[in-house]
Amino acid sequence: MTSVVGKPAARKGATEIATGKAQFTADLDFPGMLTGALLYATEAPARILRIDTAPARNLPGVFAVLTHDDIPGLNRYTYSHTEDQPLLVSELVQYPGDAIAAVAAVDEQTAQEALGAIDVVLEPIKGIFDPLEALRPEARQVWPDRPNLHEHLVIERGDIEAGFAAATVVVEGEYTTQLIEQAFLEPEGAVATIDVDGTIIVYASCQAPHRDRGQIARALGVFENQVRVITPYIGGAFGGKDEAHVQIHAALLASATGRPVKLIRSREESIRTHVKRHPIRIHYKTGAAEDGRLTAIHVAAIGDTGPYVNAGAEVMGVLAASAFGPYDVPNARIEASTVHTHNPICGAMRGFGIPQGTFACERQMDKLARELGIDPFEIRTRNGLETGATLPTGAVLREGRPMRACLEEAATLSRWHQRAEFARSPAPHLRRGWGVAANIFTVGLGRNTQDSAAVSLEMSADGTAILRTGAADMGQGAHTALAQVAAEELGIELDAVRVVAPDTDLTPDAGPSCASRATFLSGNATRRAAAAIGDSLVRAASRASGRPQDELTLRAGYVHAAGEQLVSVAEVAAVAKEANLPLHSDGFYAMEYPETLPDDAYQYAHQVFTFGTQVAQVLVDIQTGEVTVEELTVVQDAGRVINPGAAFGQLEGGAAMGIGYSLMEQLHTDAGRTINNTLESYLIPTSRDVPPMNVGLVEIPEPFAPFGAKGIGEATLTPTAPAVANAVADAVGISLDHLPLNPERVLAALAGGDPDRP
Amino acid sequence: MPGESHSADQSPSPTQVASGYVAPETLAEALALLAAGPQRTIIAGGTDLVPAVRAGRHDPAVLVDLRRLGLNTITVEPDRVRLGAAVTFTDVLQSDALAAEYPALSQSAAEVGGPPIRNRATLGGNLVNGSPAADSAPPLLAYDASVVIAGREGEPEVPLRSFFESPGTTVLQPGEILTEVVLPRPTAPTQSAFYKLGPRLAMAIAIVSVAVRVTRDGDGEVAACRIALGAVAPTPLRAEEAEAIIASRGLTVDSIAEAAAVASQACSPIDDIRATADYRRRMVGVLVGRLLTGLSTGDDGRG
Amino acid sequence: MVDYELTINGASRTVATDPRRTLLAVLRDDLGLTGTKEGCGKGDCGSCVVVMDGLAVNSCLVYVGQADGAAITTVEGLASGDELHPLQRQFVDRWAFQCGFCTPGMLMTTYAFLGENAQPTPEEVRQAIAGNLCRCTNYRSIIEAVVAAAGERSPQ
Repeated sequence: MTSVVGKPAARKGATEIATGKAQFTADLDFPGMLTGALLYATEAPARILRIDTAPARNLPGVFAVLTHDDIPGLNRYTYSHTEDQPLLVSELVQYPGDAIAAVAAVDEQTAQEALGAIDVVLEPIKGIFDPLEALRPEARQVWPDRPNLHEHLVIERGDIEAGFAAATVVVEGEYTTQLIEQAFLEPEGAVATIDVDGTIIVYASCQAPHRDRGQIARALGVFENQVRVITPYIGGAFGGKDEAHVQIHAALLASATGRPVKLIRSREESIRTHVKRHPIRIHYKTGAAEDGRLTAIHVAAIGDTGPYVNAGAEVMGVLAASAFGPYDVPNARIEASTVHTHNPICGAMRGFGIPQGTFACERQMDKLARELGIDPFEIRTRNGLETGATLPTGAVLREGRPMRACLEEAATLSRWHQRAEFARSPAPHLRRGWGVAANIFTVGLGRNTQDSAAVSLEMSADGTAILRTGAADMGQGAHTALAQVAAEELGIELDAVRVVAPDTDLTPDAGPSCASRATFLSGNATRRAAAAIGDSLVRAASRASGRPQDELTLRAGYVHAAGEQLVSVAEVAAVAKEANLPLHSDGFYAMEYPETLPDDAYQYAHQVFTFGTQVAQVLVDIQTGEVTVEELTVVQDAGRVINPGAAFGQLEGGAAMGIGYSLMEQLHTDAGRTINNTLESYLIPTSRDVPPMNVGLVEIPEPFAPFGAKGIGEATLTPTAPAVANAVADAVGISLDHLPLNPERVLAALAGGDPDRP
Repeated sequence: MPGESHSADQSPSPTQVASGYVAPETLAEALALLAAGPQRTIIAGGTDLVPAVRAGRHDPAVLVDLRRLGLNTITVEPDRVRLGAAVTFTDVLQSDALAAEYPALSQSAAEVGGPPIRNRATLGGNLVNGSPAADSAPPLLAYDASVVIAGREGEPEVPLRSFFESPGTTVLQPGEILTEVVLPRPTAPTQSAFYKLGPRLAMAIAIVSVAVRVTRDGDGEVAACRIALGAVAPTPLRAEEAEAIIASRGLTVDSIAEAAAVASQACSPIDDIRATADYRRRMVGVLVGRLLTGLSTGDDGRG
Repeated sequence: MVDYELTINGASRTVATDPRRTLLAVLRDDLGLTGTKEGCGKGDCGSCVVVMDGLAVNSCLVYVGQADGAAITTVEGLASGDELHPLQRQFVDRWAFQCGFCTPGMLMTTYAFLGENAQPTPEEVRQAIAGNLCRCTNYRSIIEAVVAAAGERSPQ
């Protein structure tokens, strides 16, 4: 029984947002602040023949024009182990998002004039834009000193030859997913200032303040404790602000000019530059016995990561570590290739490889169901993972019950078994269909990675608390959830906990807010910190009341003993303070991996998983190819819900993004250059485009999780696209294996044409 | 609300002109301002012009704002309806008179951008931009609209079907102002409908848009038909051969099928990121067929 | 530079500026009203919506010259002192935002909308916010918050 966790509560900072007082990065203003801007490459790929900044430097109102020569430290982004991306390019331009120079000027207009005055001469190089072509031995190399195949990962268990030999049915398909864009509403930005003692302070809309601090320090050639990164309110990120964007450049400009510098990307620059969701080609072969039980899978995925590695190999790794879906597969071989081209760089985006793999996996399950004449829910239930099952990665599933619970809840909410009551063809040109998709989602960064979080918690003598967290809240509600965990553990009201947002001078390192890890890791760290303070409170209460400590509990603002409300936490806090008991504690949590894995296990095998199921009901217009999702059922395993408002928001918002991925979103490129760099041409769902949703949460507490709660921010968009594609296939009886399912592609498929037209 | 006026304001001063922005009080002043120098451009709602200037696609020396010229009224006369060029799409949507007699125009207004855009974007602006995908163009063509051009030598009223020249160009010359859109009032029973096929359901540029109208004689037979298409040619256009099929044979299953096929041959679409030319051409046939079938059966054919 | 008279959140303000700066830039940079956000700068997202003479407009698409003499309400003008407007309170209580970047524009669009339609249906609200993009929600919570705020203002 909890009193704060699981209960409705408004988002921390909600009133400030609703009154317009909340300050986002672009809202900050400092005396003497300059405007920063970056010169992006006009051609790519290309060799830089000349950069002449003198005409720009001589313009009145221009304070600094920086090139690669002006970077005191390391001219590299450091997200990945392969630090191949320069902050300011010196020789080789690889994509149109490469920056060549940075300027700081008195205002925006002068900054733009300065960019225009920089003389850059580029010599275009022939690029390579097709990942399959890039894999050919004779292919032009994106990097002179390393192959286009950055990594070829293989995860293998059992014997797939034997598995396929034992199969009654084998289905095989080729799937493609498209390049898409996070489209967070607040474009990236940073403001850098210099403190009186020389500390560089950088305000940045970002997901990884401590990693950014390290990057800024390295670029400036200073120690990390001479840099301070602070996150203002963050207007969405979805992975696109995980890697540094302009915060290092802003710091370089502030350092060079000695003045505050604000650097905000325009929407066009934003879409042109930051990492995207990988377009991935997946060949998927599945074998099953007569009863539908899987005997083997062979998955070969090729991901186009663009010229720079960024998080590309990690994304493909997560795809490989989940491509088997929520199913017990005795024999599996999963290959994931990370390939360089001159297309836009790809990296983190909500789902991190899992949406692509799930699309292929779940289309396969439907094809198998059709082939064997088994209900799509039934085939998933028969194959569902159970507690104790060994995954192809070698990990052993600690809690498998949510898998089937999600399927059951989704069948109920969607009235799956009553669908015969609906007309299959409500008009001559319309066809109705239903599709289900289930998924498994990994939480955390995986084994053998740096995956820990710290928080700092302090209670005052009046019983209120301050929680200092380095975990960025991009809107997902992490700070509210952590405050609820702290309040629950300390036995105080939620309003008595104030959260200090990431400020690397004040808040300890929580790692990046990605991989659905913030609630799990920082939540556990918060519990530990709160437990230490709670111990002081109980000791103080015991002294004051004379009751033994083990009889006392803290709940809803009071100390309780055997159902009796004794004294308020505030009073006890004062006693504890008086008695010199500690009311401050740091909490630290590193992902726990109690089991030892076999030697051949995947080295980054995840240990915490969430499950989900979605059901789409669609109408397909067979004359225009338009797909209307009439209703979407979204069921997600949360372990335990900490805040219902936040949880429903994540479920619905994730599914809405999944609708965009299914039907309309696509970033088009021409020779590597993105074409639709506006929100008029890159289309995300409007209020008219999102279907009604039935939303359900399954709560089966996860071992090791704070109150059993797991991250759900990313998982919920994962099953949407395959559910919609399965429904369209059900409606019209043809296979749709390429995203997005735009009208023209659907119509082409109906006409028996080439559905793989990009 | 539309129609605000600033009686205290004087004629444009040289300072105002030098500032690059003038909001004259009379049409004569506006025409004089436009004639007084090069690179002078009209601004009405600004929803297309402001971003174009920001993106550097436009660099006008002086902007002449039409908002004080009283061009934001909808006037119903016995034989025609006059819509000021500065009438916004919100004004169109809120007009019961237009909804009753020109439903396809109201339907198209509901598809323009989103509500904040419709509060600023004007009917005149939608036309003078010369976009082949202008949402209001097909219904206005279907209703035989004409436009009134001030400052023009010769006849000021130009049929809309002769107005568009190529993408981004119309017959409007520098120094001229489109002041009014004129719609003849129906004299016989008329049905009409509009459909926009877009890549999403709001805030989208049309892949194909179609407006149709049929007018019947005293016996209920089809006397006239209009079929107008958007986003499938360098300009919005009418499919006149297809119209003739319906006008001569009425709305039958066969005539509709034939008109739809003929209409799809009348267009000359292009490939872009929203759709291929081939898809657009096919959709013209589908949508013309659907809208005409809707008129023949009494429902509006849009579902 | 030209002097423009604007009524901002009920107070008269004179702004000396180039007439071809956007209302958004004047609000944010000259008047310090940073509650209004820029998400795209070209009318595609709705984050910058303010109410001008009773109508929701994209302030990034309005030159200050066009707004001369207009009465402008921004998100900062919605609450009465410490008392939140019903829309604001319902948005807060119903998690009608996550990151909150679209919220000022969403609030101003729906504020103007409730001025025209005091008792909207959920479907009417859905249509009314079609020009305001939100990437965090599925709009359901926003629609419910607007309907609830309408009910609060004029109970049936």
